[in-house]
Amino acid sequence: MSANKESNLVQAYIELNKFCQSSDYERALKAAGKILQIAPTEQKAFHCKIVCYIQLHNFKEALVHLNNSKHAALAADLQFEKAYAQYRLNLPKDALQTVDSAPELTPALKELRAQILYRLEQYQDCYNLYRDIVKNTTDDYEDERKANMSAVVANLGAINPNADLPQFE
Amino acid sequence: LPPPMEAVPCKPLFFDLACNFIEFPNLDDKTGVANKKQGAGITG
Repeated sequence: MSANKESNLVQAYIELNKFCQSSDYERALKAAGKILQIAPTEQKAFHCKIVCYIQLHNFKEALVHLNNSKHAALAADLQFEKAYAQYRLNLPKDALQTVDSAPELTPALKELRAQILYRLEQYQDCYNLYRDIVKNTTDDYEDERKANMSAVVANLGAINPNADLPQFE
Repeated sequence: LPPPMEAVPCKPLFFDLACNFIEFPNLDDKTGVANKKQGAGITG
Protein backbone atom coordinates (compact mmCIF):
# COMPACT_ATOMS: atom_id res chain seq x y z
CA MET A 1 0.00 0.00 0.00
CA SER A 2 1.39 3.43 -0.86
CA ALA A 3 2.19 5.82 1.99
CA ASN A 4 -0.40 8.27 0.71
CA LYS A 5 -3.15 5.67 0.63
CA GLU A 6 -2.23 4.47 4.07
CA SER A 7 -2.42 7.95 5.56
CA ASN A 8 -5.78 8.48 3.85
CA LEU A 9 -6.98 5.27 5.42
CA VAL A 10 -5.88 6.29 8.91
CA GLN A 11 -7.63 9.65 8.45
CA ALA A 12 -10.80 7.89 7.27
CA TYR A 13 -10.73 5.57 10.29
CA ILE A 14 -10.24 8.51 12.67
CA GLU A 15 -13.37 10.08 11.16
CA LEU A 16 -15.29 6.80 11.37
CA ASN A 17 -14.21 6.33 14.99
CA LYS A 18 -15.51 9.81 15.85
CA PHE A 19 -18.99 9.02 14.48
CA CYS A 20 -19.00 5.59 16.13
CA GLN A 21 -18.28 7.12 19.51
CA SER A 22 -21.01 9.74 19.13
CA SER A 23 -23.44 7.06 17.88
CA ASP A 24 -24.01 9.05 14.70
CA TYR A 25 -24.93 5.98 12.67
CA GLU A 26 -25.85 7.79 9.43
CA ARG A 27 -22.48 9.53 9.24
CA ALA A 28 -20.59 6.44 10.45
CA LEU A 29 -22.23 4.46 7.65
CA LYS A 30 -20.95 6.96 5.08
CA ALA A 31 -17.48 7.01 6.65
CA ALA A 32 -17.29 3.20 6.61
CA GLY A 33 -18.40 3.20 2.98
CA LYS A 34 -15.62 5.65 2.14
CA ILE A 35 -13.02 3.35 3.69
CA LEU A 36 -14.34 0.35 1.77
CA GLN A 37 -14.05 2.38 -1.43
CA ILE A 38 -10.35 3.02 -0.79
CA ALA A 39 -9.70 -0.47 0.61
CA PRO A 40 -12.46 -3.01 -0.09
CA THR A 41 -10.92 -5.68 2.16
CA GLU A 42 -11.09 -3.66 5.40
CA GLN A 43 -12.90 -6.02 7.76
CA LYS A 44 -13.36 -3.50 10.56
CA ALA A 45 -14.95 -0.93 8.27
CA PHE A 46 -17.32 -3.63 7.01
CA HIS A 47 -18.13 -4.62 10.58
CA CYS A 48 -18.93 -0.97 11.42
CA LYS A 49 -21.14 -0.70 8.36
CA ILE A 50 -23.18 -3.72 9.46
CA VAL A 51 -23.49 -2.37 13.02
CA CYS A 52 -24.76 0.94 11.56
CA TYR A 53 -27.42 -0.78 9.47
CA ILE A 54 -28.58 -2.75 12.51
CA GLN A 55 -28.62 0.32 14.78
CA LEU A 56 -30.61 2.17 12.10
CA HIS A 57 -33.04 -0.81 12.10
CA ASN A 58 -32.25 -1.52 8.48
CA PHE A 59 -31.95 -5.27 9.09
CA LYS A 60 -32.71 -6.14 5.50
CA GLU A 61 -29.75 -4.17 4.17
CA ALA A 62 -27.48 -5.64 6.87
CA LEU A 63 -28.44 -9.16 5.84
CA VAL A 64 -28.06 -8.43 2.11
CA HIS A 65 -24.48 -7.31 2.71
CA LEU A 66 -23.69 -10.24 5.00
CA ASN A 67 -25.09 -12.71 2.49
CA ASN A 68 -23.35 -11.18 -0.53
CA SER A 69 -20.84 -13.79 -1.73
CA LYS A 70 -18.46 -10.99 -2.70
CA HIS A 71 -18.15 -10.12 0.99
CA ALA A 72 -17.84 -13.70 2.28
CA ALA A 73 -14.38 -13.16 3.76
CA LEU A 74 -15.44 -9.89 5.43
CA ALA A 75 -18.60 -11.42 6.86
CA ALA A 76 -17.02 -14.64 8.13
CA ASP A 77 -16.62 -13.45 11.72
CA LEU A 78 -19.98 -11.67 11.94
CA GLN A 79 -22.26 -14.61 12.75
CA PHE A 80 -23.78 -12.78 15.69
CA GLU A 81 -24.70 -9.74 13.60
CA LYS A 82 -26.10 -11.98 10.87
CA ALA A 83 -28.16 -14.07 13.28
CA TYR A 84 -29.46 -10.92 14.99
CA ALA A 85 -30.58 -9.43 11.66
CA GLN A 86 -32.32 -12.71 10.80
CA TYR A 87 -33.97 -12.75 14.23
CA ARG A 88 -35.29 -9.21 13.78
CA LEU A 89 -36.53 -10.02 10.27
CA ASN A 90 -38.57 -12.81 11.85
CA LEU A 91 -36.48 -15.61 10.36
CA PRO A 92 -35.86 -17.50 13.62
CA LYS A 93 -35.02 -20.80 11.90
CA ASP A 94 -32.32 -19.19 9.79
CA ALA A 95 -31.09 -17.30 12.83
CA LEU A 96 -30.73 -20.49 14.87
CA GLN A 97 -28.82 -22.12 12.03
CA THR A 98 -26.44 -19.15 11.88
CA VAL A 99 -25.89 -19.21 15.65
CA ASP A 100 -25.16 -22.93 15.62
CA SER A 101 -22.74 -22.58 12.70
CA ALA A 102 -20.51 -20.25 14.73
CA PRO A 103 -17.24 -21.83 15.89
CA GLU A 104 -17.85 -20.79 19.49
CA LEU A 105 -20.98 -19.98 21.51
CA THR A 106 -19.98 -16.56 22.86
CA PRO A 107 -22.08 -14.84 25.58
CA ALA A 108 -23.68 -12.67 22.88
CA LEU A 109 -24.64 -15.71 20.79
CA LYS A 110 -25.97 -17.45 23.89
CA GLU A 111 -28.24 -14.53 24.78
CA LEU A 112 -29.51 -14.37 21.19
CA ARG A 113 -29.95 -18.16 21.02
CA ALA A 114 -32.26 -18.04 24.05
CA GLN A 115 -34.39 -15.34 22.38
CA ILE A 116 -34.54 -17.34 19.15
CA LEU A 117 -35.65 -20.47 21.03
CA TYR A 118 -38.43 -18.39 22.62
CA ARG A 119 -39.54 -17.21 19.18
CA LEU A 120 -39.48 -20.84 18.01
CA GLU A 121 -41.59 -21.81 21.04
CA GLN A 122 -38.95 -24.30 22.19
CA TYR A 123 -39.61 -23.30 25.75
CA GLN A 124 -37.92 -26.16 27.59
CA ASP A 125 -34.59 -25.67 25.75
CA CYS A 126 -35.01 -21.94 26.16
CA TYR A 127 -35.56 -22.27 29.90
CA ASN A 128 -32.47 -24.48 30.31
CA LEU A 129 -30.34 -22.01 28.37
CA TYR A 130 -31.59 -19.05 30.43
CA ARG A 131 -30.73 -20.91 33.64
CA ASP A 132 -27.21 -21.32 32.34
CA ILE A 133 -26.96 -17.65 31.27
CA VAL A 134 -28.31 -16.31 34.58
CA LYS A 135 -25.84 -18.43 36.53
CA ASN A 136 -22.86 -17.22 34.51
CA THR A 137 -23.71 -13.56 33.87
CA THR A 138 -23.33 -10.41 35.92
CA ASP A 139 -24.58 -7.29 34.12
CA ASP A 140 -27.13 -4.48 34.28
CA TYR A 141 -29.91 -6.53 32.70
CA GLU A 142 -30.52 -9.17 35.35
CA ASP A 143 -34.09 -7.94 36.00
CA GLU A 144 -34.97 -8.00 32.33
CA ARG A 145 -33.50 -11.47 31.98
CA LYS A 146 -35.58 -12.63 34.93
CA ALA A 147 -38.65 -11.20 33.20
CA ASN A 148 -37.75 -13.17 30.08
CA MET A 149 -37.39 -16.31 32.17
CA SER A 150 -40.83 -15.76 33.70
CA ALA A 151 -42.24 -15.40 30.20
CA VAL A 152 -40.70 -18.77 29.30
CA VAL A 153 -42.14 -20.36 32.43
CA ALA A 154 -45.58 -18.85 31.74
CA ASN A 155 -45.53 -20.43 28.30
CA LEU A 156 -44.35 -23.77 29.69
CA GLY A 157 -47.24 -23.66 32.14
CA ALA A 158 -49.74 -22.79 29.42
CA ILE A 159 -48.66 -25.85 27.43
CA ASN A 160 -48.58 -28.24 30.35
CA PRO A 161 -50.54 -27.04 33.40
CA ASN A 162 -49.42 -30.09 35.40
CA ALA A 163 -45.71 -29.48 34.86
CA ASP A 164 -43.51 -28.99 37.88
CA LEU A 165 -42.70 -25.33 37.26
CA PRO A 166 -40.15 -23.22 39.04
CA GLN A 167 -41.53 -20.59 41.41
CA PHE A 168 -40.72 -16.90 41.24
CA GLU A 169 -40.93 -14.57 44.19
CA LEU B 1 -74.41 -8.74 19.54
CA PRO B 2 -70.93 -9.00 21.10
CA PRO B 3 -69.88 -12.41 22.43
CA PRO B 4 -69.66 -12.75 26.23
CA MET B 5 -66.48 -11.50 27.90
CA GLU B 6 -63.83 -14.09 28.49
CA ALA B 7 -60.60 -13.92 30.49
CA VAL B 8 -57.45 -14.59 28.46
CA PRO B 9 -53.86 -14.74 29.67
CA CYS B 10 -51.86 -11.60 28.85
CA LYS B 11 -48.83 -11.80 26.65
CA PRO B 12 -45.79 -11.90 28.91
CA LEU B 13 -43.13 -9.19 28.66
CA PHE B 14 -40.06 -10.33 26.78
CA PHE B 15 -37.00 -8.12 26.39
CA ASP B 16 -34.46 -8.07 23.58
CA LEU B 17 -31.17 -8.23 25.49
CA ALA B 18 -29.08 -9.47 22.59
CA CYS B 19 -29.30 -6.00 21.01
CA ASN B 20 -26.91 -4.75 23.70
CA PHE B 21 -24.19 -6.86 22.13
CA ILE B 22 -24.42 -5.05 18.77
CA GLU B 23 -21.31 -2.93 19.17
CA PHE B 24 -18.69 -1.27 17.02
CA PRO B 25 -15.30 -3.02 16.96
CA ASN B 26 -12.33 -1.32 18.60
CA LEU B 27 -10.64 0.85 15.98
CA ASP B 28 -7.56 1.86 17.97
CA ASP B 29 -5.23 -0.21 15.78
CA LYS B 30 -6.64 1.52 12.69
CA THR B 31 -6.54 5.11 13.94
CA GLY B 32 -2.95 4.94 15.18
CA VAL B 33 -4.00 5.30 18.83
CA ALA B 34 -2.62 1.86 19.69
CA ASN B 35 0.87 2.79 18.44
CA LYS B 36 0.99 6.06 20.37
CA LYS B 37 -0.19 4.40 23.58
CA GLN B 38 2.62 1.86 23.50
CA GLY B 39 5.24 4.50 24.26
CA ALA B 40 3.28 5.90 27.18
CA GLY B 41 2.72 2.57 28.94
CA ILE B 42 4.07 1.69 32.37
CA THR B 43 6.89 -0.30 30.84
CA GLY B 44 7.50 2.18 28.00
